[in-house]
Amino acid sequence: MKYALFLGCKIPSQLPAYEASTRAVLAQLGVSLVDLEFSCCGYPARTISRDAFVLSAVRNLALAERAGLDLLTPCSCCSGSLRHAIRFLQEDEQLRARAAQALAREELVWSGKTRVEHLLTLLARRLGTDRIAAAVRSPQTGLRVAAQYGCHTLRPSNLAHCDNPMAPTLFETLIRATGASPIDWPRRLDCCGDPLHQANAPLSDSMTQAKIADALASGAEVMCTACPHCQLRLAALQSGSPGPAIRTLLYTQLLGLAMGLPAKSLGL
Amino acid sequence: MSPAIFQTALYLSLALCALGLVWRVSAWFRLRIGPDAQALTLFERLAAVSRGTASALVSRSVFRVLAALVFDVLLQYRLFVQAKLRWFAHLLIVAGFTLLLLMHALAALLGDALFPGYQPTLAPYLFLRNLCGAMVFVGAALLLYARGRQQTDLAQTRRLSGAAFMALLGLVLASGFLLEAHKIASPQAFDRMAQQFAGTADSAALQALRALWASEFGVAFGDPNPAPDRLEQGRELHRNACASCHSVPSSAFVSYPLARVLGPASGLLDAGHAEIWLLYVHLFACFLGLASLPFTRFFHVLAGPLSLLVNSAAPERALPARSASPGSRAACRALALDACVRCGICDAHCSVAPLARYLGNPGLLPAHKLLATGALASGRLLRPDHENQALQAAEGAFLCTDCGRCTSVCPVGLDLEDLWQAGRGDLAAAGLPAPAQWVQARTAVAWADSLEAEAGPQSYSDLYAASAPLSADRSSFSRCVQCQTCTNVCPVVAHSMGSEHGVDLTPQKVMNLLRLGLRELTLGSRMVWDCASCYQCQEHCPESVRVADIMCELRALAVRRLGAVRPTREAA
Repeated sequence: MKYALFLGCKIPSQLPAYEASTRAVLAQLGVSLVDLEFSCCGYPARTISRDAFVLSAVRNLALAERAGLDLLTPCSCCSGSLRHAIRFLQEDEQLRARAAQALAREELVWSGKTRVEHLLTLLARRLGTDRIAAAVRSPQTGLRVAAQYGCHTLRPSNLAHCDNPMAPTLFETLIRATGASPIDWPRRLDCCGDPLHQANAPLSDSMTQAKIADALASGAEVMCTACPHCQLRLAALQSGSPGPAIRTLLYTQLLGLAMGLPAKSLGL
Repeated sequence: MSPAIFQTALYLSLALCALGLVWRVSAWFRLRIGPDAQALTLFERLAAVSRGTASALVSRSVFRVLAALVFDVLLQYRLFVQAKLRWFAHLLIVAGFTLLLLMHALAALLGDALFPGYQPTLAPYLFLRNLCGAMVFVGAALLLYARGRQQTDLAQTRRLSGAAFMALLGLVLASGFLLEAHKIASPQAFDRMAQQFAGTADSAALQALRALWASEFGVAFGDPNPAPDRLEQGRELHRNACASCHSVPSSAFVSYPLARVLGPASGLLDAGHAEIWLLYVHLFACFLGLASLPFTRFFHVLAGPLSLLVNSAAPERALPARSASPGSRAACRALALDACVRCGICDAHCSVAPLARYLGNPGLLPAHKLLATGALASGRLLRPDHENQALQAAEGAFLCTDCGRCTSVCPVGLDLEDLWQAGRGDLAAAGLPAPAQWVQARTAVAWADSLEAEAGPQSYSDLYAASAPLSADRSSFSRCVQCQTCTNVCPVVAHSMGSEHGVDLTPQKVMNLLRLGLRELTLGSRMVWDCASCYQCQEHCPESVRVADIMCELRALAVRRLGAVRPTREAA
């Protein structure tokens, strides 16, 4: 199994542990990753220009297509962006023509072949929880974990193709495969507050705090994430804050620990 | 050249160079880049830099600095990793130029100390000088070639000072080689030297020597086929009087072929005192280079290495601009403006470079952002004639994803992420914040009023159809039955309850305004701008209205429409 790894912009500079743990875990599971020099998924430009957003996204899809690979991303927002861009292209013939023209200047073509896979669906669907459970060497038995899905992992469900958007179980199944115990918590599908941070910091903080309080009240010891935005937001709000704190772990870190990989190789 | 003219010109250019250096270096302590640098006094900044330098030199970081001196400064390892051809060209120029400076330009001062028995005409120096000159020439040519290949369709950031410096370097090299070539071919120069070193020989022997130098060493006497015995006689005298102090001119492998070309004209050149004016051109080009050093791109020969050393002092992954005191940080940022040669490597790797292209805004690219940061610090960016550049810079600051690639590839090790962070703060303070901020300056109703007041003959239907197809197409929202499901599942609405920072409308009301044809009233709405794009509304809508997608479109529309009716800068 081979993918072009789309890290997005946040992971390399601000969350290198996600890259390290993703590589470590996938190497154990026999997934090989190819590095291409991708550009921004387009997400920040969606507020400026639909065209620029779509063209930036489709450039990445075309790069993967040239390499003959599907694209794997550990970032929920990047995954969402790329899928939205694909949808807009499918809906709008003129936009498709503009995209083809822009790509042609770099001798790139996107014919629609590239699939976008999020890390969680790769693990749960392509590899399967049995294979994951089989790789576990030191089960995290008894660890109570709150699954933080991340909005764009699930929604809109007709693009994300992940799980039932109202009552998903995919992340919990993956957590159970590590030996840990997923907990039920009312705010598990809520937004982490990150996208709002620039526009309205107090409201964003209130959303993040509510999630942390809810996870704690529901008995979680760890909040498990699968998106750099969620992870960074939850960590940033808790650093230096006097309120009750909860440990945040990336799913690849939790899985890596369960596989018995050295903590250092997981960025811990 | 008369010593008086030479000395006057030399000291004048030295003085200009020194003054320029003081001016440029003082900028590292004067320019205020970043909100944390605004309140610092000159004294605080000088003190912070002195403290930082001292503590770096007496701690373990001195080893990192020494390693950087060898690998990053002398061997240019960072450039090697990024661009092999430019690295090679750069080393050629640096090595050639440094050797020429020490061996040739400063011969009177350093010649004997560094190069025992130095004589410009002697082996290996005659050859070495040509080699060094050729290295600089080839290096410069390769750099120009590499730059040419790198040309993008975006507006270039290369400044005139870079071109001016290259032209000056070319003039120094060309005049130097021409002067040497002319001296090789010149009968006048031959006669002068023969007079000096073989003056006691009889005229027949001198004639033989001339014949020998003409046939074997390229002096243009116009006697191509002398008799063999005359040549032998000339060779005898050559061995006694010339050979010990003069290598064969052909070892000057650039100037000698040039001399053969100049040969036919050398009589004319002699008559026109070419030796004197070529020397003047050569020396004055050098003096001009010296005097203008602080004002051209050439200043990077000081700022670049300094930046590499300063940045190496911090531990791995903690660049000094972020770990140091505000005073040192401010100096690092100002130094970065001088150390950058706009090589464009950061631009080539920038994550949002495709966006720059599609938006037609070079202000997104690191090299442009660096210029804009400098222009903002000097106040130039806020002048009315720079309005467009200011807007482009603001968009660039907003769209930068902080991916850090520019910092990791920069050949002079600049902490560009820190510079962007600082620049973002300065832009916001100057009334050029991100759209989410400037939109908040007015209420949705006030924005709608501004749009109405603008009401010209313009039609926006094309803009809407192309850039906001969902909000332009009634069928995408006319199904809305105002059931409030979107509002009920919206986390932003939920957290707005009882908060003074809450939103003004609800998603359902935004949809209703669209249904009523009051699209302009939504553009400045807090609901539209505080939407978290979590897609709960869209997922839950029983009528499959793409609420969140429409919200995104409305923001992009607002940037265009509201951006057109706002002043460039919000009142700070």
